[in-house]
Amino acid sequence: MTHHNTQSITKDGQLLIKKMETDQVETVWDRHQAQQPQCGFCEMGLSCRICVMGPCRIDPFGEGPQQGVCGADADIIVARNLCRMIAAGAASHSDHGRDLVDVLEGVAENRAPGYEIRDLEKLKKVAAEYGVSTQGRETAEIAAELAAAMKQDYGTGKKEITLAARAPEKRQDLWRRFNIMPRGIDRETSEAMHRTHMGVDNDWQSLLLHGLRNALSDGWGGSMIATEVSDILFGTPQPSASKVNAGVLKQDQVNVVVHGHNPVVSEMVMEASRDPEIIKLAEAKGAKGINLCGVCCTGNELLMRHGIPMAGNHLMTELIIATGAVDMMIVDYQCIMPSLGRVAACYHTKMVSSSDKARFPGMEHVEFHPENAREKALEVVKSAVENYINRGSVFIPVEPLDSIGGFSVEAVLGALGGTPDPLIDAIKAGKIRGAAGIVGCNNPKIKHDYGHVTLTKRLIENDVLVVDTGCAAVANAKAGFKVNEAISYAGPGLKEVCGSLGIPPVLHFGSCVDNVRILVLASALADSLGTDISDLPLAGAAPEWYSEKAVAIGAYAVASGIYTVLGPMPPIAGSMNVVELLTKGLEQVAGAAFAVEPDPEKAALLIRRHIENRRGALGLDSADL
Amino acid sequence: MKYVIIGNGVAGVTAAETIRQHDASGDISMISDETFPPYCRPMISNFLEGAVPSEKLPIRGKDFYDKNRITPVLGSRAAFLDPDSCMVTTKDGRQLPYDRLLIACGADPRRLDAGGTELENIFFMRNINQVRQMIDALPQVKNALVLGGGLVGFKAAYSLLRRGVSVTMLIRSGYPLSMQVDETAGRMIREVLQSHGLTVRTGVSVEAFEGSGRVEKALMSDGNRTACDMAVIGKGVFPAHGFVPVDRIKTDAGILVDENMHTSASGIYAAGDVAEYFDLSRQKHWVNAIWPEAVSQGRVAGMNMAGHRISYRGSLSRNVIRMFDTDVMCAGRVSERDVDESCRTATAFDPRRNTYRKLVFEGNILVGFVMVNNVEQGGVLTSLVTSRMPVDISDRYLLDPGFNFSRFMRL
Amino acid sequence: MKQVIVHPERCVGCMQCMTACASAHSKTGRLFSAVSESPLPKPRVHVGAGMHNHGFPNRCRHCDPAPCRMACLPGAIYRQTDTNTVMIDPDVCINCASCAMACPYGVIRYHADPLAPAGKIIAVKCDNCIARQHKGLIPACAEACKTGALTFEESDAAMKKKTDRVAKSVTAETALPEQAPGFALLNTVKKAITEINLCR
Repeated sequence: MTHHNTQSITKDGQLLIKKMETDQVETVWDRHQAQQPQCGFCEMGLSCRICVMGPCRIDPFGEGPQQGVCGADADIIVARNLCRMIAAGAASHSDHGRDLVDVLEGVAENRAPGYEIRDLEKLKKVAAEYGVSTQGRETAEIAAELAAAMKQDYGTGKKEITLAARAPEKRQDLWRRFNIMPRGIDRETSEAMHRTHMGVDNDWQSLLLHGLRNALSDGWGGSMIATEVSDILFGTPQPSASKVNAGVLKQDQVNVVVHGHNPVVSEMVMEASRDPEIIKLAEAKGAKGINLCGVCCTGNELLMRHGIPMAGNHLMTELIIATGAVDMMIVDYQCIMPSLGRVAACYHTKMVSSSDKARFPGMEHVEFHPENAREKALEVVKSAVENYINRGSVFIPVEPLDSIGGFSVEAVLGALGGTPDPLIDAIKAGKIRGAAGIVGCNNPKIKHDYGHVTLTKRLIENDVLVVDTGCAAVANAKAGFKVNEAISYAGPGLKEVCGSLGIPPVLHFGSCVDNVRILVLASALADSLGTDISDLPLAGAAPEWYSEKAVAIGAYAVASGIYTVLGPMPPIAGSMNVVELLTKGLEQVAGAAFAVEPDPEKAALLIRRHIENRRGALGLDSADL
Repeated sequence: MKYVIIGNGVAGVTAAETIRQHDASGDISMISDETFPPYCRPMISNFLEGAVPSEKLPIRGKDFYDKNRITPVLGSRAAFLDPDSCMVTTKDGRQLPYDRLLIACGADPRRLDAGGTELENIFFMRNINQVRQMIDALPQVKNALVLGGGLVGFKAAYSLLRRGVSVTMLIRSGYPLSMQVDETAGRMIREVLQSHGLTVRTGVSVEAFEGSGRVEKALMSDGNRTACDMAVIGKGVFPAHGFVPVDRIKTDAGILVDENMHTSASGIYAAGDVAEYFDLSRQKHWVNAIWPEAVSQGRVAGMNMAGHRISYRGSLSRNVIRMFDTDVMCAGRVSERDVDESCRTATAFDPRRNTYRKLVFEGNILVGFVMVNNVEQGGVLTSLVTSRMPVDISDRYLLDPGFNFSRFMRL
Repeated sequence: MKQVIVHPERCVGCMQCMTACASAHSKTGRLFSAVSESPLPKPRVHVGAGMHNHGFPNRCRHCDPAPCRMACLPGAIYRQTDTNTVMIDPDVCINCASCAMACPYGVIRYHADPLAPAGKIIAVKCDNCIARQHKGLIPACAEACKTGALTFEESDAAMKKKTDRVAKSVTAETALPEQAPGFALLNTVKKAITEINLCR
């Protein structure tokens, strides 16, 4: 028995959960319930499976074992586990970035048909940052050299990764002072695995510091490369209108849904879905066309750059299939629940996996590489069209909502007239109290989208500008916060500023790798004020986070000086030393720390307090909350 | 001290053992018309079904009477009770004086008002002898007619279906066990039985059975004749207190007892199917003729008869049934008859697990429930009904198939 | 007499008692081989999810008088007085679920069991690891529990400890120090999450 209104706040979510119950198909919520109670050792980070003298666990009550077989105590075990979570998250983003660099290299070498350099300006700008000369050179040459330079960042040939130079000087100095300036993207991840091996780093503080360095290698390295190269290859996003929620699926068209993270596959699928031959085939099958939609972050990538409609976030991925309207779902990697193949088997949906590093039960594997992506995309979309006639009954629960996406840093600065000054002036004048990045996943522990939407609502009504990415961005779009009229939800100051700029009070910044856009914008604001990111009236939140990637993001945000409020508790409660360090001690190191607050109403207050506090320190008017 | 116990069902047996535990020297006599050693009456349907051999039916060993130093008075019923002279007389004329008397003679099946009921292969299915006869008759039986959809009717139908007999059940309401469960659960039970070959007919009754010696067909109230070579009459039971002087001992449907299982006559106790005591879910006197009640009441009666005043908190109707791959458990007020506008109900049907639950509350007191499948946690609900503990957790937890005891634990 | 005592406030919900119990009641008695046995051994202690999804090791209390025993139709349930254990005789049990209706804690399960006649579905519950105790071992659940939620101790002594604790906690001047601040923190977060999910 399920309780749809305790599982999701979204109308489409509730109706589709109910449908899956009627259809007798298991959902992520059912599996979550079946897992209760979850292991307290693991929830507290007190279990260690690192070596086979173990596995070990520490009794939090102090009477049972207090040390693992190797002698590691609770502090060491918790710190090692957390460090490994960061390493896995950083590896995921960074490997995603590497795949884009491979495509960039393929374009340069003319062996990636269908891909091209769409933003030459950005190519040149980034190339300049990498010290690649652009004057009077062929695009392909620049691209080749940039790709090679980026690969250097992945390796061990450098003392500091290139894009760390984008951070304010003060921040860079701080990183050097605490010896957490990342040296190489893969190096830091690799070192994290080494340090956490039995018998290497057994000082919980130095383990955590390395965790921060590893996270920074993601935020200012792998993720940033992913975003920048995506912009170079597929265009830097500009604001454009789109539609969101399960209602974007169309009864009378072939619905192809892309799921995952990397635009390398979805961009080619988009091209294929526009192929006249295939559209003709779709019409021959009785469909009125091909409707490409996204879910999760690859959906965000397409929405940002092309206004492709967005069907839902992480917890919607099973539900979308239950509409019976999805003729094909093409996945690449990350956050793809292995249950999807089983769900699809209950409907007519054809599932296709596309990455050589990500395979799933119940999916057909069609491997995409830069060399064959265009051809493979045509092949799978054709097969999606052929599947249209196999549809059973279709239930599309709601009408789609309007939403504006596409706020890259370039686009935001464009809207401001080319400089961050109007934003800074609005902050100084107190019309906008500050800004918050609301990011991260969905988690069945938290009522679906409740954390994102409630927190966002409370912040904008108190004149805090919200930028969002990932699943949070989809939640807020579905809540109707991303149309210009949504300024009616905003407090008077924010309403005035957004109204005059013609932008929504909540800005869609992209996918989860696009959190780096927040870092870049924050750096621009700090530079403009001649200060550090940690001095800004700025905060981050991940109200419904679940993944290791989110741990890496949270860690690089804090290490970059952004106060970050987490919804679910990370597995650290087993060591009060680690808890103290992450929630208080880091303030002394990074000028920012974590907070854990599952109640978004309270989280909003924490963020507003932090923002007011920073305003006061900057000599701006500040309220006592 | 002379103890006389009328009836060797589980109430009488439990009482006798309890008395013996607390009074090593008293004389105990037990009267029963059945000569078979004390056996488990509810299991006769398992015996009919073929799931349990007859050797497994006795609840106590052959040495039960000897071991407990009990004088068995078997083969005849109690026919006369004189509270003034403290004397019980059996049908065959044996006289037993007592200081303490326990009436635990159970219940008798209700007769059917129809012609031809004396024909062979028409049964009541109340005791082991009847079931033995049914089993003996089985080889010749193709079509059985079960009259009534109560517990006996249900169990007879289920057991005969398991034996491969084609069964037709005549019921007044649209589904079996309508006194025990609500309509949804009743329909689920009906569907399970039907999917295994049961035919259900409503709105007709039997006017007369016909046949030469053995029953062959039944004349129905609609004028049609239905072939049947066996019939089971399950029209309910009534407490077997015909021999009790109602001017001396207060009776209602059953013999009224107080919290010590004591009747209105000095030194006379009653327990089990014949007794009527305060029903916890209905909050009034009620006969709950079920096995676990008989055990508990027999124990309380025995304690009190042996001189230890202990109280019984009240009785509760409840049942658990397993049929094919479906389990049903119910307790207290949950049937359509028992639920009125003073009640609040909460239901949940989960098609994924094929589970159904209905809870009936009065205020925040759980007064009844029915559950179909996932019945392992039913005892927790039963104890909520008997304890009348206010329920302060959300219905959704009690309704959830994953519900467990820890939902009541506070952090 | 030593008994398994449950300290619910210490259960972290790891379910290690369940695995230990199941393998203790398997044919081979070892986890790795137990998982490939048929029928699969099953645990007789059940860690359920509480109101805030915290764990609670639900285990037979071996009540006296035992409601399951009084409700048992074939008389399969009996008390072994020397170990104060309510036992179920697998040969006599008829799987009627009468005990399910009687057990106020819901600790009885129904399935084929490696230690019962082959293929027979019977009522199964905690037997206090009598077989292990005969070998000088303590019950498997208490052995597996590393947080002290399940302990094997003299019941009188355990009762006295609990009484002392309660007495201490009601004397005003000294509040008991938080046993495990991290665990309390985790539970606070879990409690907040369930309340938010339910009430908003």
